[in-house]
Amino acid sequence: MESRATGSTPALAATGVSFAYGARRVLRDVSLDVARGSMLALAGPNGSGKSTLLTLLAGTRRPVSGAVVVDGRPVAAYDRRALARLVAVVPQDTSVGFPYTVAEMVLMGRAAHRPRLGLEGPRDVAIAERVMAETGILALAGRRITELSGGERQRVIVARALAQEPAILLLDEPTTHLDIRHAIEILDLVAAVNRTRGVTVVAVLHDLTSAAMYFDRIVFLRDGEIAADGPPRTTVTAETIARVFGAAVRVDVDAEGVPAIRPVRSRP
Amino acid sequence: MTTLPHLTRGRLARVNGVLLLLLAASIAVAVTLGPVALDWRRVFGSEAGVGPDAVILFRARVPRVLLAAIVGGALAVSGAALQALLRNPLAEPHLVGISSGAALAAVIALVTMPVVLGQALVAPVAAFLGALVSIWIVVRLAFVGERVEPTTLLLIGVIYNAFTGALLMFINSVVDLYQAQGVLFWLMGHVGTREYSTLAALGLYSLAGLALLLWHARDLDCLSLGDERAAELGVDVERARRMIFVAAALLVGAVVSVSGLIGFVGLVVPHLVRLLFGADHRLLLPASYLAGAIFLVWADTVARTVLGVTEIPVGVVTAIVGAPVFTYLLRRERRVES
Amino acid sequence: MRRSRAWTFAVLLVSGWLATAVAEPSPATTRAMPARIVSLAPSVTETLFALGAGARVVAVSDFCDYPPEATRLPRVGSFNAPNVEAVLAQRPDVAIGLPSPGNHENVLTMRRLGVRVEIVDPERLADLPAATRKIAAVAGVPDAGERLVATMAREMDAVRAKVAGAPKPRALMLVGQDPLIAVGPESFLGEMLVEAGAVNVAPAGEAWPRLNVEVAIAADPEVIVDCSMGTEAGTATLEYWTRFASIRAVKDRRVYPFRSFEALRPGPRLARGLEELARLLHPERFR
Repeated sequence: MESRATGSTPALAATGVSFAYGARRVLRDVSLDVARGSMLALAGPNGSGKSTLLTLLAGTRRPVSGAVVVDGRPVAAYDRRALARLVAVVPQDTSVGFPYTVAEMVLMGRAAHRPRLGLEGPRDVAIAERVMAETGILALAGRRITELSGGERQRVIVARALAQEPAILLLDEPTTHLDIRHAIEILDLVAAVNRTRGVTVVAVLHDLTSAAMYFDRIVFLRDGEIAADGPPRTTVTAETIARVFGAAVRVDVDAEGVPAIRPVRSRP
Repeated sequence: MTTLPHLTRGRLARVNGVLLLLLAASIAVAVTLGPVALDWRRVFGSEAGVGPDAVILFRARVPRVLLAAIVGGALAVSGAALQALLRNPLAEPHLVGISSGAALAAVIALVTMPVVLGQALVAPVAAFLGALVSIWIVVRLAFVGERVEPTTLLLIGVIYNAFTGALLMFINSVVDLYQAQGVLFWLMGHVGTREYSTLAALGLYSLAGLALLLWHARDLDCLSLGDERAAELGVDVERARRMIFVAAALLVGAVVSVSGLIGFVGLVVPHLVRLLFGADHRLLLPASYLAGAIFLVWADTVARTVLGVTEIPVGVVTAIVGAPVFTYLLRRERRVES
Repeated sequence: MRRSRAWTFAVLLVSGWLATAVAEPSPATTRAMPARIVSLAPSVTETLFALGAGARVVAVSDFCDYPPEATRLPRVGSFNAPNVEAVLAQRPDVAIGLPSPGNHENVLTMRRLGVRVEIVDPERLADLPAATRKIAAVAGVPDAGERLVATMAREMDAVRAKVAGAPKPRALMLVGQDPLIAVGPESFLGEMLVEAGAVNVAPAGEAWPRLNVEVAIAADPEVIVDCSMGTEAGTATLEYWTRFASIRAVKDRRVYPFRSFEALRPGPRLARGLEELARLLHPERFR
């Protein structure tokens, strides 16, 4: 397992966590350390437990067994406000039932930093403006979120998470609704945030090529267990993909070391 | 300096200030209207103190208009909170059965308690408990996993309403004829004339509920996005939900025990306020309270003047106005989303 | 063959119809002196006992509380909802009742099941003698009926004489406080109020007008007779009126609780109830 050269405590550590929805086991005895300031991608077939693992790392669900440690302390030891200042989540489901404006949505990311009774101050507004500029939604500030497209909404949610000024950023399929330009922009942004501010990133991604390009470590889950774990060059291989997904593919690595994944068709 | 549109102290003051002025004006106009024409000289002027005009104004009309304001505000703000809590813009105490649950508790208390024993105290407490239990039941039933589908909530509400309504009718069938008639009329919603001491107590209940909700205004914003989202944003979901339940139950219980079932206020007013001023609860809650007060002051004025000497139940007026307005809002929302 | 099938069908049809006709109990034969009478209303119970037919009353309705013998009789449901099965179980020769908002269906059902049900309707005071006579006729004691009618008329006249000529106070009678439900001139109670020597200030047009309290204040009655629930239990509900200090009745402390639904039943004790009411309105005439 990789860790930063300084050998400091991992940002996130899951030890032997299991989770079940009723009788259905979703995670079995998973252990994972996420080094501070690293970027980790979670991949795997549908139902392999990736999103569930993310919610355990975020502390919004409690594992049935095992422990989750955030920044050296057990996740249960944090009160929710303190945890929200440390960890931000970009969820998969971005639907909103009420007509908040985009600015209001982003500013909700500041809620954990503000006292209960009180309006946002100039610093909060400045932070919101900055993250909205970075995600390219500043022009949408006054629009109601219920009127936006799926892709625009996704960017608003990313902005909100960034507005929390987290040390750890957890993303669940952040690019599904985005067209290629915006997907690239978001991943560029996440990489930049990681690089310049040392934010630890864990992202669930479907697109293995993007994962390979942006993340220095990919963990594959299958049936609730870790099936592969390592840098893209060792994990994004035809053999691993066949084992994890049961899909036949061909992987060609280009000059820069970026893999191109191509399905192998059974018929001509 | 900044161009980002957000909620400022200035906006809060402006919106609430305007609404407060409108409320004051509405109250001032409403007390001049009624089935009996007042001789204003006898109230304020040269012949002050002679005749029943002053008594009518200060002892019958003013308390009633003030009660309408308090009740309307409480209904509107509890509706706004329930909508956020149940993550559904269609929620309101009447529609989801919480008011009828409160009414059932109050009626049971009134019918079973001996008449002399502080009836005035028993009903509000019973209604508060009834509202609390009802909220708990409806929420338990309406949440399927993480989500609340609008149709599920409506169905749960209809079923719960039918259930509590049936129990109320059962009680009505076993009590004697004109106790039953009184209950029936009260069930249709009636803003009556109360003592100033009662108004003061109700006002305090109401403000306590409002204050508790305001304390959780930011939590309501986050909760309206979902329990998990709220937790991710830093809300202690269990604790916040509990306190908001208590606040809503306080408001609904106080109102129902005094005025029976008045529907549509909690549904229509928050929607309109959201449309005009936005969904941020720090503004939505106080603005809904004031707008609800204005709405019911006028609805009650219509209820007590439109047919001359006879009154119609105020719940009828709010339904006649509320149903078409709500249908219009709903269709508008649908059109926007599609 | 088609013919025989058609005949079979016709035979089945006819025998089915015959069967239902036979299975239905035939209506009880009208007896001149029914031995088993069921009363469906308190005033009917009182009348039957006053006619001397009390021994033949086998069951009464829920709130029949007079005379004391009636309280020991089995109950068959309320005035508003008589229980069909309970009535049938009593095997009555006749059931006598008043029309009420809720009992129409039940009466029809009872009749269909073969019970003889007689309805009397003393909607107004003028109808009361006829209603009393009808009850007497049904019970088979028409002479006792005439005597009772005469007695009731005499007693009523006695009360009227007591208050004759006295200035009539303006009075408001209520059966509900919140909302305010007054006794209108077109109701039996409204007539009683007038017979007791008062002017009813409630607006005309309805039997039970729902009033805004302003109207009551503006009407400024000299006497308020509050029959709403709870007034008889104590002064708490009467204090509802004390804040409307401009009302004459409040100033003169002439706000009285009154159990109108017990005192003013359209039956033999009506005169006594009327006297109670007259006493409130004209205390000086009853010293």
